[in-house]
Parts: sequence; C-alpha cells; structure tokens
Amino acid sequence: MNYGLIQAVVAREWRTRVLKPSFLLATLLLPVVSIGFVVGAILLTESAEVNNTVLVEDAPGLISRLDRASGQYVPRCPGCFPERQNLNYHFTQEAPADSIWQAEGHTVLVEYDGSILQNQSGYLVYEKSPGASAKRNIERDLSRAMEHARVLESTELNWSAYQALKMNVNLVDRGIEKGQRVKGGGDEIRGGIGFMFSALLLLVLMIYGGVIMRSVVEEKANHVVEVLVAAVRPEELLLGKVVGLGAVAVTQLLAWTVLSSLGFSVFQFLFDSGTIGQAATLGSGEVPADLLTLMAENDGLSHLLDIQWSVMIGGAIAFYIGGYLLYGSLFAAVGSSVQSEQEGQGMILPIIAPLMFGYFAATMAVENPDLPILEWLGWFPLTSPVIMLVRIAGGVALWEVALSWALLMLTARLTLGLAGRLYRFGVLHDGSRSGWKLLVHWMQGHGK
Amino acid sequence: MTPTLSLSQLQKSYGTQRVLDGVTFDVPPGSIVGLLGPNGAGKSTLIRSIMGIVEPDGGEVLLSGQPWSREGARGIGYLPEERGLYKDMRVGQQAVYFAQLKGMKKPEAVASLKTWFERLEVQGWWDKKVSDISKGMAQKIQFICTVVHQPKLLILDEPLSGFDPINARRIIQEVRSLAADGTSVLLSTHDMPSVERLCDQVVMLNQGRVVLSGSSSELRETGWDGSQEVLFKGNDMAFTNALGALANLDSIGPTSISGVRKARIRLRDGVEPIDVLRAVTQTMELIEFIKVRPTMETLFIDAVSKVESETTAES
Repeated sequence: MNYGLIQAVVAREWRTRVLKPSFLLATLLLPVVSIGFVVGAILLTESAEVNNTVLVEDAPGLISRLDRASGQYVPRCPGCFPERQNLNYHFTQEAPADSIWQAEGHTVLVEYDGSILQNQSGYLVYEKSPGASAKRNIERDLSRAMEHARVLESTELNWSAYQALKMNVNLVDRGIEKGQRVKGGGDEIRGGIGFMFSALLLLVLMIYGGVIMRSVVEEKANHVVEVLVAAVRPEELLLGKVVGLGAVAVTQLLAWTVLSSLGFSVFQFLFDSGTIGQAATLGSGEVPADLLTLMAENDGLSHLLDIQWSVMIGGAIAFYIGGYLLYGSLFAAVGSSVQSEQEGQGMILPIIAPLMFGYFAATMAVENPDLPILEWLGWFPLTSPVIMLVRIAGGVALWEVALSWALLMLTARLTLGLAGRLYRFGVLHDGSRSGWKLLVHWMQGHGK
Repeated sequence: MTPTLSLSQLQKSYGTQRVLDGVTFDVPPGSIVGLLGPNGAGKSTLIRSIMGIVEPDGGEVLLSGQPWSREGARGIGYLPEERGLYKDMRVGQQAVYFAQLKGMKKPEAVASLKTWFERLEVQGWWDKKVSDISKGMAQKIQFICTVVHQPKLLILDEPLSGFDPINARRIIQEVRSLAADGTSVLLSTHDMPSVERLCDQVVMLNQGRVVLSGSSSELRETGWDGSQEVLFKGNDMAFTNALGALANLDSIGPTSISGVRKARIRLRDGVEPIDVLRAVTQTMELIEFIKVRPTMETLFIDAVSKVESETTAES
C-alpha cells in the first residue's frame, strides 16, 4: 500500500466536499433547524396554553360546601384540586344561564347530577375548547374529589386513613452476576441509548454509502478514472475514497455536535434568563447543584449511570469505523458495476437488507436484550455494528465486544480487497451489461 | 541503447476472445512510435497492459530494461482516449492532485505546473473551475497533467482529438520537443497525417497481432508499388506509346497549366524509373517525374485488408 497516494486521495475527497458551499450550508442548517424546531415547539406549547376558569356546578352537593365566612362554595377536599397552571376552579350548586357564567369570566362549566356516582359521567360545557390537557386535569381532579365523597359516604374511614391504605406495588430489579445480586433493570432506558447510536450509524451508512456509490459512478462518467487507476492501484483508490468520505462524515457529525451544543447552550441561557419563554414560572425553583447527583437520585436516569460509557463511546467509534468500511466497500463495488446512480439504487437492496434486518432486531433488543438471536446477530459482521451498540449499552462482556469487532474488521478487510478487485474491473467497464450477475462474473476472476 | 519500453510476446484474452497475440516491439529513447490499428485491434488493451490497468496473460513488459513494476509505471505519462477532469475542482488544484498521484511533492508540482501553464498559455485558468472552461482548454490541461512529472515514456491515446488545428500544431510541437529532450512517445491514433508528421516508427496492430512495423520512411518505401506521377507537354497517344511495356497507365488528364498533361503510371516488375524517364524524354518535354510513395493510410488499409482476407481464407 502506498500511503502517500492514499493520503492524496483522502485529502481530495475531503477537500472537494467539505469546502463546498452546499456542505457548509447543510452543516450549518441542520443545527439551526433542529434548535428552531425545539424553540418553536416550546413557544407553540406556551402560546397554546390558555387560562381556564372552571365553574363546577355541584348540584347534588357531593364535593363542595358553603363556606359561611366567605359566602362562597369551596371544595370539601381542597387537596383534590391542587393548584394548577392555567386552571382555576369555582364552585356553585346552581349555575346561572350560559351567557351569565360566561359573562362572569368563566370559560368552562362542569355539570352533573346525583347519578354521577353510578354512571361516572357528567358534562363539560364551553364555547372554546379548554384543550385536551386541561380536560384531562379537570377529569382527574373531579374523579379524586368524587372518590373522596364516596369514601366518606360508604366507609367509616376518613380520607387520610383511606389514602394510607392504598397500595402501589413497585418491583425493583435485581440482576444476578457471577452469583451475586447486583442492581438490575433499566433495560429499556439503556437499550434506548444504544438504539440511538445504532440508528445514527444506520443513517450514516445509508447517507455516506450513497455518497460513495455516487462518487464512483461520477468518476466513471467523467472519465477521470482511467487516469487515476493508471497511477494508483484500484484498491488504494477505493480505500482513499472510502476513508476520505468517512472523514467528511466525521467532520459533519462533529460540526453538528459542536454547533448543536453551542446552540442549545445559548438557548438554555436565554430561556433561563427569561429572554425567551416563561422559564421563571416553568422551573421548579430548586436547581440541583450537581447533575450526577440528580441523575443518581432519579430512578430512570440512574440507569444511564449504569452504562459503561467508556466502552459505549469506544465501541461506538470502533463499530462505526468497521461498519462504515464494510458497507462503504460494498457500495463502492456496486457503483463500479453500474453506469448511472438510478441503476445503482436498484442494486443496493440486497446490500442494505441485512442492515435493515439488524436495525429491526435492534428495536427488539431495546426491550429484551438477552434474546439468543441477538447474540448470534452480534457475531454476524453484516448486522453486528447495529446490534452490538444496543448490546453494549445493555451491558455485555468486553471479550464479546472485542471478538465481534475483530470479526467485523476482518470481514471489512476481506470485503475491501474483494471490492477493490470488483472496482478494478468495474471502473473501466462501460458496457451495457450491469447488475449482480456481472459482479459475480468479476468475483470469479473474469474480466481482469 | 536500452529501449524505454520493450514488449515481448504479450498475450491477453477475454474469455475465448484473444485480444493480444504475441505483441512484440520496442520504443527506443527519444523516439516517437505510432501505434495504429482499426477499432478493436487491441490498442487500448495493449496500453492498459503497459500501464498495469489490465493484467496480461503472458509475455513481458520491460520499462528501461527493468521488469514492469507499479512504481515504474507511475513514471509513465499517460493520456487515455477516454479522459476527463473533475468538474467541481479548480484547474490548478486538480493539476496538483494528478501530479501528486504521480509521486510529486506539492511545491515541486506547483512549480512545474506553473511553467507548463505559461508555456501553453493557460496561466489565467489556474483558479477557474473545470466546468467553466472550454473543451479545448480542458484538453490542454489534461496534456499538462500528463507531462508535468517529466516522464521518460509518454503514452498518448488520440492526443489531438478535440483540438483545433492551431492548438493541435502546438501540441505536436510540444511532443516533438519532449522527444528531442529524450522522452520516448507511444502515440496511438487514427489520425494518419499526424502519424506521418510525427512518428519515427510505426507499429500496426490488427486482431491483436503486429501486422506491420518499422520506420515510417522504410514502410512507405517498402510499400511502394511502382507508382509515378508524370507531368509532360505533348499528346496522350505519344506518351502512351513512349511508355510501351515499361509501365501501366493508371490515369491521364489535363492540369491547370495550359498544355501540360498529368499521368499516373505504375512501373512493371524489373523496370527502373530511369528507364521510363529515358523513353519519355525522347519524344516529349518532361516537366516533373515524381515517385509516389503510399500514404500511411494506404499502408494501414492494405495491411488490415490483407489480414482480413487471410483470416477469411483460413476459415
């Protein structure tokens, strides 16, 4: 291998793509669009929240009573109507006509009669819908108040005693490792993190595999390739192209990460300072001093700390490299055997089929990481990149990761050699024939 | 002197089709060798075998007396027939890239390229995008990319296609100049006049075999069929009588000069031009007596036709 030449090819592939206005635009645009999407969603949610003043017509007097001091009806169970943002309750036992309660400033009327305890149904009357979220809250509060009324009516228990009797069983996971009980559970959260890595890898492979194929087809179409293969061995040219475009992908991912982090930091600062949105009213008012402490104290988030992040990040980089080399070579081989991109699109299905299968298996792995088939797919190089990332997040022996990666890299190396051979035949092939039959013909050594 | 390129019994087949069949010839230092042949004769495969793009089934390729190696082949300047440039790159950037692929360091490549750009008067195009330049200009850039690393051997496949006559002459001058400086040139073309103007030697391929080779003047001399062109003053009957049994008369007719007639004759076997000269001058005024050697085109067509008729006869 002449690494000087490979380096020149890598540099050309990188420079001509990264220094293009379209690349810079796409790289800048994605973080801007994604931040804009989040900001937009938050602002939209805020603007969608309307203040609802609810008048509850408690005709049977089940949940309210007249407070003599104030002369107003108040809930029998004040705790059943907690203070909610954008939701205020007033009670009455006889509501006036619709036009009047509306004129009094109420936006919603809740009405029912004594049968509510049997049929559990009442009416929500409004001119403008209070929104699904407000409706859910009203139903929840009303149900709790009715439950309170029933407890007082049908049992000898007081409300506090009844509350104390209520049960909510929570099963805490405990795994067994090497005969010892260890902290368990959190499979879905950890698997979800691994799955995010897998999904991103799939995206990178699909996008940049397509770029590799297009690049090979273009070089054939503009007749540069014969000059190239006269100076550089096809295998070196192929490696340079795959690595160069991989470097473009890394550049773009890094740029996205940095720009997105910067953008979100700026947004967070503006949001916290109240410049954007209503942070002061949304915040809990209690900001933890340490993020890790917060995570450890939170049942769900604590599982994120269980992930071996060094293995996860290292594994992600390793499997991204292996997967990219393997699939990049295959895409290049397809590109070399066709005359147009459209023709190539028709041929990539068999290549991406194992990848897609791996992706769907990875979705299963999120819920059940110990399925035997996942172990096998983790060894199989065409599916291992996407499967192993989920398995690593779930916790897997280091030797399994290493062996799976070694198999992947070995296959990638062999594929690169085979693709180089196909590339050698293919890049100079300008006949009308193309397709898998031709690739198999070349694999057998014909055409050299 | 060791030939810059030496081919010996080169063989190549695609499936059952034999594309190169024992091709043997040399390209001496500083010479320009024309590689001729009809379409499908095996010229491109031969060139690709020399460049290591295809692998020959048999035979030997020596570069300056050394067995073929990738490093040796990288030193060859190769301008393929199907050539192109990256449309999305700038001209200078692209030329530097190709020079780097030939093993040149960037500063050295830039310096050499600047010289060549000035020499071919394209220095103003260094920062232009390839998509913005004309086809002829792109051809010049490709030629520069081929010669920038001062190759010992230059392989040019149809180098003049796409050039206007002025730029074609410019390229021919540059090729001559390179050859004068010691570069060996293998020129594959269908353009016979350029072969006659440029090439010291010619190799003709047909159906993968060398059917004719030698220096251009030798080949034209060997291929001479006794044709002479005669300009005379007198009548046609007297001229025909003077020829007698010495030569066949192919054509006769007037010229633009009043009273001057032109005849095309072919000497019979064993007859020397001087014999005809003597016979004609006895009875009329002779103005010109020119030996008509065959053109390279005629030799090419004759050689190809001969092989094809032999093949037909064999089958």
